[in-house]
Amino acid sequence: MMATMDSYRSILEPSESRFPLDLEQRNPKIRKLFHASLANQWNPANAIDWNSLDVGALTPEQRLAVRTRWSRRAWGEYGAISESPALQIRFCHDRLDPDARLYFSIRSQEESRHAEISYLLAEKFGGYIDAPEVDYENSVSTHGVRRLALDAQTSVECTVAALVCSAEQIIFNIFAHIAHITTHPAIRQAYRLILRDEVRHCAFGWYFVASRLPLLGSAQRDRIRDAVVTMIEEVELNGYQLAWLAPESEASRAQVDSDRILWQAGLGASVEELEKPVFISSLRDIRHRMKSEWDILLPAFFHPKTGTI
Amino acid sequence: MMMAPFRMPVEIRFPLDLAVAIAPIHQLYEDAKLDTWEPEQDVLWSLFDRAAFSNDALAAARHVWSRRAWLEYTGIAETPALLLRFCLERGREADPKYFLTVRNTEEAELVESYHRYAELLGGYHDRPADRRWEDVINRGYYRDVLNAETPLDAYVAVHCALEDGLELELFRAYKANAVEPVARAVLNQSVEDKIRHAEFGWHYLEKRSMEFGASDRAAVIHAALSWLHDVAFAGYHLPSLSTAIDSSGEQHAQELAADVGLGAATAAQEEEIFGAYLKAARTRLGTLGLRLPVLSHPRLGKF
Repeated sequence: MMATMDSYRSILEPSESRFPLDLEQRNPKIRKLFHASLANQWNPANAIDWNSLDVGALTPEQRLAVRTRWSRRAWGEYGAISESPALQIRFCHDRLDPDARLYFSIRSQEESRHAEISYLLAEKFGGYIDAPEVDYENSVSTHGVRRLALDAQTSVECTVAALVCSAEQIIFNIFAHIAHITTHPAIRQAYRLILRDEVRHCAFGWYFVASRLPLLGSAQRDRIRDAVVTMIEEVELNGYQLAWLAPESEASRAQVDSDRILWQAGLGASVEELEKPVFISSLRDIRHRMKSEWDILLPAFFHPKTGTI
Repeated sequence: MMMAPFRMPVEIRFPLDLAVAIAPIHQLYEDAKLDTWEPEQDVLWSLFDRAAFSNDALAAARHVWSRRAWLEYTGIAETPALLLRFCLERGREADPKYFLTVRNTEEAELVESYHRYAELLGGYHDRPADRRWEDVINRGYYRDVLNAETPLDAYVAVHCALEDGLELELFRAYKANAVEPVARAVLNQSVEDKIRHAEFGWHYLEKRSMEFGASDRAAVIHAALSWLHDVAFAGYHLPSLSTAIDSSGEQHAQELAADVGLGAATAAQEEEIFGAYLKAARTRLGTLGLRLPVLSHPRLGKF
């Protein structure tokens, strides 16, 4: 069933034109990521010993917190299934390096297994929750990448810089922090497996944009900066990944409280006072790297919870 | 001239059901996750012995395998588009979405492998010698499936069941012909992957057809006839079916490559497979309440 239609100037309007079809290796670093992904596949169905996972040792409050946490993770990972594949269509449409077109195929598969393991964890700890509270939905429903990737007016470099080098880089750092402080073996394993893939996802973004920069003028670099700023201000600082950054609501407060319960028990979450320095240093690292590698200067960011970054 | 804006559905993501809903497709996903391979390591490319073949045979096989890469490449844009479409339509099951992500990985592996094999044979061709084939191959499936006017069930019925089923049968023939060990290894894996791809389409069609009304069935038949007339008969899979483009060069290449066991089938063999497959597919569609009418090819007559 379809609700309404989305209509805008899209790369889907012109007919396909795939020839000459270049399939040579043009970007060895990205081709290497493709091969590394193929060689390092894992399966959520057997990556964790689900049958021996004892959830009875947890309090009902902790179990609820785990299922809420991993349901939310599943929604987030699902965004990479329902939106990011549009980037692959864009790579094909723009006839970019074959390496990016091939690599992105397995990247989507990796995102699907992240959604799958998140769903399985939520199920194991009491049941996956299929929707956020209504007043929290806007914070988690979309990062807008599908639209950006298909929009003929938005360059693919902008989208990759915003999605991968910013949003994914931040969540990678947050995940690494959480994996470090998590003591529950199965949950820690889930984070580690996801991180194993995400390190390639982030590397792809930086390699890709670096390979495109020599082709871009100053106006295009300005647009990259604007796209990154939009992603950080309207998505990240709106609480897409971190509940304590979301607009104040009953649902976001409940999420923050729930994460604290998990953090106290080493069950795979962190709290504002620990995540805040990771988040701030992530933004600073991104700003430093974009300046040093791309010569793009990001502005200061502000959120009432973090102050000016 | 201004193009009409492209209209695609708008997603309503929640409630987001991620439970297993179609057990056979879930099983395909699980099987695919276990049947992983890595072309660079799992195919012994060094076994290829150029000296064992004549220059004419190598040139012919280059042509055949380059074309194979062009066709497999269709999925590199089509599969993510199909995945998006499943996500855009409210209430579509999780299993096809998961499965399509693996299918796309497999397509990428095959594209890389076909390209690499063409390189071994003497060099990959990046476009057809006769440019008219480009229009035949530039089908724009990724656009079709994201177009809100395209019924998703009809699309899956035609392109995932009917078309992928045909591809599977053709690849079985290519594999049967492949004496050369590298070609055989690549085609072995191709067939393994394509078995799952075709089963996905038929399983999904079987599931959905139970809820089809008359208009849904008509949409499937309309899409199937369009595909047969506009794609299959245009020579997309079988160059010899084209009546608009002289395919004698393609047919000659197929024959030479098949003759020395480089993983090809002659035009006559392909046409026989096509006829038999269409007959079987018509029967299978019939069991689902989908009556595919008899259709006529200008040269081969009625199917």
